Amino acid sequence: MSRQLKFNIFRYNPQDPASVPHADTFLLEETPSLTLFIALNKLREEQDPSLMFDFACRMAICGSCGMVINGRPGLACRTLTSDLPAEITLMPLPVFKLVGDLSVDTGTWFRATNSKIESWIHTDQEFDPQATEERMENALAESIFELERCIECGCCVASCGTANMREDFVGAFALNRMARFIMDPRDKRKDADYFEVVGTDQGIFGCMGLLACEDVCPRSIPLQDQLGLLRRKMGFIALKSIFKRKG
Amino acid sequence: MPHETFYSDLVCIGAGLAGERVAVEAAAAGFKTILLSLVPPRRSHSCAAEGGMQAALGNCAMGEGDSPDVHFADTVKGSDWGCDQECARIFADTAPIAVREAGHWGMPWNRVEAGKALCFKGGVCFEVDEKPEKQGLITARAFGGTAKWRTCYTSDGTGHTLLYTLDNKVTELGITVHDRVEAVSLIHDGETCQGVVARCLKTGALRVYLAKAVLIATGGYGKLYSETTNTVINEGGGQIVALDTGLVPFGNPEAVQFHPTGVVPTNILVTEGCRGDGGTLLDVNQERFMHIYEPEKAELASRDVVSRWMMHHIREGKGVPSPYGPHLWLDIRHLGEKHITTRLREVYDTCRHFLGVDPITQLIPVRPCHHYSMGGVRINKDGYAYGLKGLFSAGESACWDMHGFNRLGGNSLAETIVAGRHIGRQLVEYLKGAEATLRTDLARQAVAKDEARIKRIIAGSDGKESVYEVRNAMQQVMMEGVGIFRNGTDLQKAVDDLQVIYARSKKVGLKSSGIGANPELAMAIKISGMLRLALCVAYGALTRTESRGAHAREDYPARNDRDWLTRTLAYWRDPNGDLPQLEYEPATKVFHLPPGDRGYGKCEIICREEMSE
Amino acid sequence: MASIDTAIYVKPPSRASAYLDWLQMLTGAGLIAFMWSHMVLVASVNLGVNVMNFIAHFFEATYMAQVGGPMIGATMLLHFVLAARKIPFTSSEQGSIWRHAKMLHHQDTWMWVVQAVTAMIILIMGSIHMWTVLTDLPITAQKSALRIQGGFWMVFYLILLPMVELHVGIGFYRIGVKWGFVKRDGRKKFKRSENILTAIMIFIGLVTIIRFATLAV
Ligand SMILES: Cc1cc2nc3c(=O)[nH]c(=O)nc-3n(C[C@H](O)[C@H](O)[C@H](O)COP(=O)(O)OP(=O)(O)OC[C@H]3O[C@@H](n4cnc5c(N)ncnc54)[C@H](O)[C@@H]3O)c2cc1C
Ligand code: HEM
Ligand code: HEM
Ligand code: SF4
Ligand code: F3S
Ligand code: FES
Repeated sequence: MSRQLKFNIFRYNPQDPASVPHADTFLLEETPSLTLFIALNKLREEQDPSLMFDFACRMAICGSCGMVINGRPGLACRTLTSDLPAEITLMPLPVFKLVGDLSVDTGTWFRATNSKIESWIHTDQEFDPQATEERMENALAESIFELERCIECGCCVASCGTANMREDFVGAFALNRMARFIMDPRDKRKDADYFEVVGTDQGIFGCMGLLACEDVCPRSIPLQDQLGLLRRKMGFIALKSIFKRKG
Repeated sequence: MPHETFYSDLVCIGAGLAGERVAVEAAAAGFKTILLSLVPPRRSHSCAAEGGMQAALGNCAMGEGDSPDVHFADTVKGSDWGCDQECARIFADTAPIAVREAGHWGMPWNRVEAGKALCFKGGVCFEVDEKPEKQGLITARAFGGTAKWRTCYTSDGTGHTLLYTLDNKVTELGITVHDRVEAVSLIHDGETCQGVVARCLKTGALRVYLAKAVLIATGGYGKLYSETTNTVINEGGGQIVALDTGLVPFGNPEAVQFHPTGVVPTNILVTEGCRGDGGTLLDVNQERFMHIYEPEKAELASRDVVSRWMMHHIREGKGVPSPYGPHLWLDIRHLGEKHITTRLREVYDTCRHFLGVDPITQLIPVRPCHHYSMGGVRINKDGYAYGLKGLFSAGESACWDMHGFNRLGGNSLAETIVAGRHIGRQLVEYLKGAEATLRTDLARQAVAKDEARIKRIIAGSDGKESVYEVRNAMQQVMMEGVGIFRNGTDLQKAVDDLQVIYARSKKVGLKSSGIGANPELAMAIKISGMLRLALCVAYGALTRTESRGAHAREDYPARNDRDWLTRTLAYWRDPNGDLPQLEYEPATKVFHLPPGDRGYGKCEIICREEMSE
Repeated sequence: MASIDTAIYVKPPSRASAYLDWLQMLTGAGLIAFMWSHMVLVASVNLGVNVMNFIAHFFEATYMAQVGGPMIGATMLLHFVLAARKIPFTSSEQGSIWRHAKMLHHQDTWMWVVQAVTAMIILIMGSIHMWTVLTDLPITAQKSALRIQGGFWMVFYLILLPMVELHVGIGFYRIGVKWGFVKRDGRKKFKRSENILTAIMIFIGLVTIIRFATLAV
């Protein structure tokens, strides 16, 4: 019953002047519970040791291994070959800068975006080591965690047509991250502060509702709902300011 | 070719929880700090921890009456008295502060919900009643080896969320982060550490980082073993660069923890909760076996005990053959769909996504595998590495040493930010007094040496050994000889084999061009260092003729407090030698809790002389 | 600790993007409302020539056609200008969205491409159509039938009709999901109903065209 798998893998080493972008074909015997993590490592160890790709946790929790698998961005480590046809095409995630072959530089992109949207709790309260912690409802903590589950794999960004067209669009991941801070009472930013960060065409108003983000997110973050909420919230903040100015 | 050079006050090798927590302390005090990491910091192994971290807050009903004293005692017992009790004390006292501080920075800890709720233990349901005055305070769950419910958590993503919280703090403080950078060697003059030679994993270029202080926070060395729950980047990079100085000792290398249920083939951890809730282990004939070995506790004996019997059973030929080697089955089918999809959701998802197995109707292939490295760069209680000024370490990479020969679940995540906080403060004091003369000549020498070595590897001047074959051979030996149970014969064989493989590792040559971010080269650069670590582990284990915590010698089953209440210090002084020099120091200078019975994991104890009468 | 005082601004943040997005949505919604009324008007011919003539007469007698017509034209123009911010005009943008859509097997992304392409067609054909009808008032079923029986307009409408209905249908769906009126759980169902609605609209439109084509004048 075991199949012969055919891999078409994008190859390019930007550091090597002799290298040009092309696809290489590899053959591999399928074994039970074979994941792309195991398969790619086998290819590297047995067939081509220069093959570049990224894995770390290999348990779908660190977000390293995003790549385009037969046309869809996803996590390679948790993709079973048995769920794919015998011919498997692997491409690096678009949008991010290519390091080589299937490996892209998500680190720089996410760090820049996180500092752009100021992804941290803004407060002027000092931490008091002696005091008991401030209370919070468990339900609220859980809803914050629900959004915090994003692993910055970049699949949503890579699958978003807007992000592919426009470099400055922050992507669904960042909008979700902001929604998480808006929800958090420890963050003392005001509506106007949030608006400045996401109420723009680089932010929520740049999103065209393509929802590929929602469909590819390996963590099933409720992106559609968060984007909707955010658009309404930012929309109303803007409307309110008209009346304020008049008033 | 001139190498790109970066200057700072502190350079942290490693940007997991420990590295970032120290960096935050230094940057907040105004010191220029650079974080280096193999991967973007948020992808560090810390993100994989699900369960939680221990801190004696005592908010939840089952944690009532808890205090740092109780936590301290649990930790010392857990370590099988192998820990440094001063560190364990600092740790237990600081843990509650570190947890609250993380909360202040945005960590969404789960909270106490007042009122009655149903809980499970060993598959039995019971009721707890949370007090209304505790409503909204940070809650905790149960973990193995603890007297109270003490493990603070955020659902099943504690490590992930904690790491993101800290990295947000790092972003806020504007700390420089260089990801995809791998430390290759330390720059030092035999007395003081002055920086790091590193390789950029985007371009392949070597770089120099010069700093007044260097921190090693590179996590564990799980990849010495083929079967480990660790990430693929836990290759012991930090321990290698420290050991290679010949001055800094590797503390307790033989102290390595195994977990009973990693899934085959990917060694992803499935929680102990499976067995806690009534799951059973089956062999090739689909028959239970644990009750034969442990009539009383069966599947629910402690981690190390279950792991040992599972390996024994596989050795008896009762394993299930598979292309990935023999394994056993975990059976949770009888728990029913509802239980599995709600209370064991992570397990359910793991099985479906990674194995294509539906645990409601099918068996889960499992096998014990490596899980945690207690040993590491030996530091004093304030984080100063032995042997080199200006070198510090923290987190799993360090041997601080609060875990001794067995760390408790939930204590390692806690260690990262507790030790990170404490050591960070000590480091700031050090930096305040440190002089600013950085020697570029030392840097040039160091980088030239690494460059020459890399050239030889690329050219294959020393041989054409395949780096992957060498690595696989090493992992194989470690699994077979330095695994869950150990004995003199197997350990001696392992050491011998490793010496042969070590010689091969020096003859590695590339098959590919080695241009740019070449992964084969990255592995080739560190492979002989990994073998030196492996030799420390194996040789340390061979020499330690007793059983303590996770170090279980079949030929020396007793815990020997008379001769072995010590910490191993492995030095690699002779660059051309093929064995470390082992020295020993007392496990602890102070005894807040004198050696005694742990209260679990029955084991004979040979008492210290002054206590034996 | 570096505490950040976020209360002080050099300049107030621009609200422009928000207003433009509101307007884009509102003009889109307005045009949907119009297209549905338009459908009622034109399809009324199926109920009888007199019904259509009556409705048409009502609009003209109240000057709604004379004023409303150009207003619709203006709305469409405004909507176009707003939506044009999102349409890829440079060839590199076009290239990237096209490559992207082809790589990604994803329905909603394709739906957007359809929306953008139909938009350009509607802009041109819709304008021509409006010009023709509005410069030849009053509207009567007979005149419409004559036009369509001429052949050219028949083909014209056979193209324009599905374009409009697709654009409107997808636009309706998109407003729902973009603004959060439709949640994750409801999306699949909403999409299905929207597709059915589009099909029904095209069907009614086709019936209407056939009715005009076969109307004895
Ligand atoms: C599956 C799993 C579950 C766990 N669950 C729990 C739990 O519930 N509770 C608990 O307390 N503990 C748990 N642990 C243990 C705990 O997660 C780790 O001990 C802890 O996170 C280690 O943190 P760290 O900061 O020391 O190292 P890491 O997070 O491993 O970070 C190491 C850093 O060093 C960098 N690095 C490594 N080598 C180099 C080099 N040569 N050059 C430059 N950078 C380098 C890496 O890129 C990384 O940034 C678990 C472990 C596993 C495997
Ligand atoms: C009667 C005619 C039209 C109707 C009923 C209509 C309706 C709509 C609706 C409801 C939307 C969704 C709005 C939103 O997402 O906010 C939309 C979007 C759009 N329309 Fe139109 N439209 C019409 C004509 C046009 C024309 C003439 C153009 C341009 C040439 C155009 C271009 C677009 C584009 C590009 C979008 C997508 C915008 C985005 O995704 O953000 N439309 N239209
Ligand atoms: C106020 C402006 C408008 C008026 C008064 C109007 C009027 C009419 C009339 C009278 C017809 C019947 C056919 C004919 O006489 O040729 C018709 C058909 C049609 N119109 Fe319009 N129209 C207007 C705007 C639009 C717009 C903006 C569009 C789309 C962009 C549009 C799309 C169509 C289509 C597709 C048909 C074919 C009929 C069908 O099968 O439904 N119209 N219109
Ligand atoms: S939102 Fe989902 S797809 Fe996007 S980065 Fe986070 S986990 Fe990945
Ligand atoms: S795919 Fe892109 S356009 Fe919006 S809905 Fe998602 S961010
Ligand atoms: S390797 Fe971590 S998510 Fe795939």
